[in-house]
Amino acid sequence: MRALAAVAALLVAGGACAFARTALASPEDILGYGTRSPAMGGTGAAHSEGFEAVYTNPALLARIREQKLTLGLEEASFDLKATGPNLPGAVGYDAMKSIVIGVDIPIPLRGALTDRIGAGIALSTPTNLIVRGRILYPEVPQFSLLPDRTQSVSVRAGLGIDLGWGIRIGAGFGALAQIEGSAVVATDATGKVGARVEDQLIATYSPTLGVSFDLPFKDGATTRIGFTYRGPLAARFDVTIDATKLSTLNIPVLTIAGLAQYDPPEMTFELARSKGAFAFALGATFKRWSSYPGALEPTLTCPSTDPQCSALVPATVNYSNTIVPRVGAEYAIHATKKMVVLVRAGALYEPSPLPSKLPSSQAYSDAVNKAVDVPTRYFDANRVVATVGYGVAFHDTFLPLTLDLFAQAHVLVPRTIESDAPNGANGPDNSVGRVTGTVLSAGLLAGVTF
Amino acid sequence: MRAPSLVLLGCVFACSLARPARANPLDAFGFGSRETAMAGANAADVQDFSANYYNPAGLALARRMELTLGYMNVDQSLYINGLNSGVDPVRALVGGLVAPGVIAGVPFAFGFAIHLPDDRLSRVRAEPQDQPRWELYDNRNQRLYLAASVAISPFPWLQIGGGLSFMSSTTGSIDIGGQLNIFQTDNSQVRSSVDADLTAVRYPEFGARVALSDKWAIAAVYRGQFQLGLSLDAVLHGNISSLTTAYYDLQTTSVNNFLPQQVVLGNSWEPLKGLRANVDLTWVNWSAYVPPVSEVNVALNIPPPKGGWPASVTPPTQPAPTSILPITMHDRIVPHVGVEWRAFESEHWEAFVRAGYEYDKTPIGAQTGETNYIDRDRHAVSLGLGGRAIELIPELPRDVRLDLHAQLSELPTGTTLKTSPTDLTGDYTAGGHIWNLGATLTAGF
Repeated sequence: MRALAAVAALLVAGGACAFARTALASPEDILGYGTRSPAMGGTGAAHSEGFEAVYTNPALLARIREQKLTLGLEEASFDLKATGPNLPGAVGYDAMKSIVIGVDIPIPLRGALTDRIGAGIALSTPTNLIVRGRILYPEVPQFSLLPDRTQSVSVRAGLGIDLGWGIRIGAGFGALAQIEGSAVVATDATGKVGARVEDQLIATYSPTLGVSFDLPFKDGATTRIGFTYRGPLAARFDVTIDATKLSTLNIPVLTIAGLAQYDPPEMTFELARSKGAFAFALGATFKRWSSYPGALEPTLTCPSTDPQCSALVPATVNYSNTIVPRVGAEYAIHATKKMVVLVRAGALYEPSPLPSKLPSSQAYSDAVNKAVDVPTRYFDANRVVATVGYGVAFHDTFLPLTLDLFAQAHVLVPRTIESDAPNGANGPDNSVGRVTGTVLSAGLLAGVTF
Repeated sequence: MRAPSLVLLGCVFACSLARPARANPLDAFGFGSRETAMAGANAADVQDFSANYYNPAGLALARRMELTLGYMNVDQSLYINGLNSGVDPVRALVGGLVAPGVIAGVPFAFGFAIHLPDDRLSRVRAEPQDQPRWELYDNRNQRLYLAASVAISPFPWLQIGGGLSFMSSTTGSIDIGGQLNIFQTDNSQVRSSVDADLTAVRYPEFGARVALSDKWAIAAVYRGQFQLGLSLDAVLHGNISSLTTAYYDLQTTSVNNFLPQQVVLGNSWEPLKGLRANVDLTWVNWSAYVPPVSEVNVALNIPPPKGGWPASVTPPTQPAPTSILPITMHDRIVPHVGVEWRAFESEHWEAFVRAGYEYDKTPIGAQTGETNYIDRDRHAVSLGLGGRAIELIPELPRDVRLDLHAQLSELPTGTTLKTSPTDLTGDYTAGGHIWNLGATLTAGF
């Protein structure tokens, strides 16, 4: 029967891969995911419980034994600054407010498959948004890798299977929507302007694959390693505007396109150990930012017959791969026979993939009637993140509830980012910006088993 | 009496999240093969994943967890003047989950359901209002349905449930700046920025079911109103081949996929053992309909260049804003009738035969003027088969069900006569039929 489980697991993994396309973007990459993980430094690939494992490691969904419904609220605020000549200082961004719905689903098979398969479904959505697609001109000061990436829905589902011998495997996916559309504006024979507008939301998917292994130590503790792979997450914005029939003016078809949301491919490796009331986790996440093509795409592209035409081309920024170390701990206090209090803490260090020296971008200047250089004012910095959390779980009571609270403080390590624009409209236009800031986030989630 | 408190909390939570909402292909073609085969007459007789749509209260009748996966394929053969209108098919994965349990001693269930189209999550399409189109079939059914619901059964004879469905509208602004080269467009130097939001649309559904006896149940369901919006503001500014400057602001706003609020009254009766007969009446508030026509406002400022325009160029002039003609829609009551017969029963096997009928009188008023929102009355006849295997192998789910459905919708051909003999579209005939085939596989644990 274990062979059957293995075959089923392979089918699940294969199905997830087949389902996956280029993919999506997620607030969880910045703020963490679930009830325990955000309080424990974003760890979880080797210790997650319940629905949060759909993100941290789907293999751990196989540990689910009870049906549980979780509802919660999360919020994050951003205080980000870029100071220097021609820079605004504080760069304003909306706070992120999100609703979380998570479901733990044990699959109650019998015989040899008893307590071997679990599933999770989770939805995290900003209170008034599904996705924010903000692709600004490069000379506009912006923290493009941080606040707007949290303004996105996260829909995730996964399945975990316990193969025995301490081995679990799992697969899941995340989903997001991207926009494709067109607007055709034309003047008819009577002089009336009419428009045909079409806007489609296309689903994009990203696979999450995981495996965990309980090490066979005989010391009364549980020592587990976990490995998770998450595919790249990308949501594009692609709208064409065709006003060629508005008049006899020869206007090209304009393509308004870009990568509105993006998470790079990621691999997480983690070691967790729990004994008695104490649990500890240590891990690292590799993020392949070098595959990020950047948010901007050209509005006009040169035809193949004239590849050297003078259409403007966005600057290419070489993002660097990063490794994020994480650590987290949890201590359980059995306050009464039916109530457990959990205290959690953690930390992580998130290096910035953005280089300190950026290439200039191009813009057309009305003042000099030609294309000129403008500085690329993208800002980001390494983040040191401290996390704390508190949980209460009631067992064997009339209403079996859990309450989990977490808070995070992200501190941007000050750095300077430069971009030289030697051929500006009025001579060299160089930008030197000093980056500082903080991000604060908190969440409260309530769960009930049924 | 914690149960009513839980429901109240659930309702408050749902209402706090809800916005004006709803439109989906489920109204037109059904959800789940068992229910589609019974023409959707299931408000008082549903407890699988499709209860998320037909009546969330039915989830509380479930006694074990169920997972369902299926597929539906709808081919629409609709004609105008004998020519196929090429209305897109509806092809989608369907599926969901029912997880029953007990909270505070009260039977409780959570449900999740999805209708996931093959090609897109949703499509907003706004066309000129005189463009002939099958208004209720062309674009409104091209969308995702995603719902999560909860239900309780505070008394054995009463089930109450509510849920939320999720969609999004689009609002955004586009800025395009640079130089347009009207003599060599490839050498235009233009760039753009985008600030667009997919804004969340959540809409509620509530239902109740009362068992009057072992053989008779009634139900009431409310579904809210829903629409998808598209608001786009595109600004183009710069100069034109160094001749002059240009400022062009296109603002377009439209509403699509509108589905009016609905109230369903359902009745389910088991006159003979193994035979169930259901009747539902659905009141549809079509008179609130908003047509999917884009309102276009254009601001244009292109001063003539020194020396005037080249002879080959006729510059655009400031156009007048769009004037949207009203659409006349009538509220309707839609009857659904369905029967299910358990044709075979043994310790490990059951087989079912199902049939149903639905009549949708068109809500759209006569299209005698400039607009051409085409529709016809619809007669939908459906048939279905179901098989259930019970506890065959210990490692498999306790029961596995396979349900099949086939539904034929006939839209009798009729002629639309225009009032004006100079109408650009002229008189036309329209009609057709729609085939809906599908299957669902359910595992109960």
